[in-house]
Amino acid sequence: MAATDPGEDRTTRSGALGALMQAALALPILAVAARAGAAEVGEIGITTLGYKERGLMKVTEPVLWGRVQLAEVWEIEASGAVDIVTGASPELVTNLSGKPVQSVTGASINDRRTTGDVKVTRRFGDYALAASTARSNEEDYHSKSWAVEGRVDLNQRNTTLVASYGESHDHVGSSIDPTLNAPRDTREYLFGVTQILSPLDIVESTLTYSRGHGDYNDPYKLTLTFYPDQVLPTLLPDTRPDHRDMLAWLTRYRRHFPASDATLQAEYRYFHDDWGITAHTLEVGWEQRMGEHWAVRPGLRYYTQNAADFYAPVIPRPTPSVLSSDQRLGAFGGLSPSLRVTWRGGDGWKVEGTAGYVQDSASFRLGGNGSEAFATLRAVYGILTVSRAF
Amino acid sequence: MKRAAALALLAALSACTTVAPYQRGYLARPDMALGADPGTTRALDKTFDAKEAARGGASVGGGGCGCN
Repeated sequence: MAATDPGEDRTTRSGALGALMQAALALPILAVAARAGAAEVGEIGITTLGYKERGLMKVTEPVLWGRVQLAEVWEIEASGAVDIVTGASPELVTNLSGKPVQSVTGASINDRRTTGDVKVTRRFGDYALAASTARSNEEDYHSKSWAVEGRVDLNQRNTTLVASYGESHDHVGSSIDPTLNAPRDTREYLFGVTQILSPLDIVESTLTYSRGHGDYNDPYKLTLTFYPDQVLPTLLPDTRPDHRDMLAWLTRYRRHFPASDATLQAEYRYFHDDWGITAHTLEVGWEQRMGEHWAVRPGLRYYTQNAADFYAPVIPRPTPSVLSSDQRLGAFGGLSPSLRVTWRGGDGWKVEGTAGYVQDSASFRLGGNGSEAFATLRAVYGILTVSRAF
Repeated sequence: MKRAAALALLAALSACTTVAPYQRGYLARPDMALGADPGTTRALDKTFDAKEAARGGASVGGGGCGCN
């Protein structure tokens, strides 16, 4: 390709062959950019998340991640993170005031979760096989998972097909009930296709189906309902079905506009499960290059879901066998604008900051009819990444 | 919305042509990547998965969390 081609990124010129390979593969699982003439290439980075809800929870999460390609046929990706959660979380929904509202009982959260994962991929020409494993541990939840993946490039790498199978074996506990140690097992299946549509656009579509069985109850959530003709209220702990089958269909699209030196980034996800929840997620971003080193990306994410079949902020009579007043299972919508600023140096350094605002509200639900007891959630988050490609 | 997305995807796939490697310069740009870096992706997933019922879609085998 001529060095003076418009829109060519000079910072990646030296890795043009590898960058082209990355574009051709463009998989749901990111591939390392292979640079021509290099036996080992990789990237290492550290990302920190800060998240704060108004009056409720605060999360800080540093993540160390890296990926390396060895001998042009092996790829190793790994990451480790620590989740630090403090603050309060709504634990009780009660209609004591006449209508159901969320209450924070006053107990504060101070939770720390450590996670780690590694994935190894071996290429065989147009084919690749990968295996991965992940661990997550916190006081009241332990997770072990693994997955295998196969992918094939077709049509001069214009098309990539990927299929994966994974299993998670988790244990649910409780900081207020030391005897709780219930299993939750999940099997996941994925099929995806990535297609280069033209020199300027690419699309990826992935279907994921999972079948889960075990304990899904939230051990900290309660529903307390008063009845006008009954002296004593009814108190019910969060009780959910012992199974959950989920389907998620994610489609991502990228389109570059050379005259603007910018790229449209859009993605849509359809979700449905056997709890009766259907959800739609739509995100659109516009990444605008500003000179050789800078880029700015405003984005907007919209989310909407209906309520689970067993969601109820008021306990009906007779008392059902399953019921949850957790508003995350209610009907609501969410809007989240964000702004990302990226600086890329010519020697592989990248510094990227993202600031976002999240507002979940019953009134944002598509078509209306949001859940009556849904308390509007307002939160801000910031993400900072410093990374180096080598 | 699900039907509209399926139709859009089929229309896009039916309109694609074979793009030779030397024509993929724009596709190699960082802003054309189909996902953010691993750290940013994990941070965004954490932000939204903890407050919404929907999850997943991009990969399998990632495990779970309490996220109470």
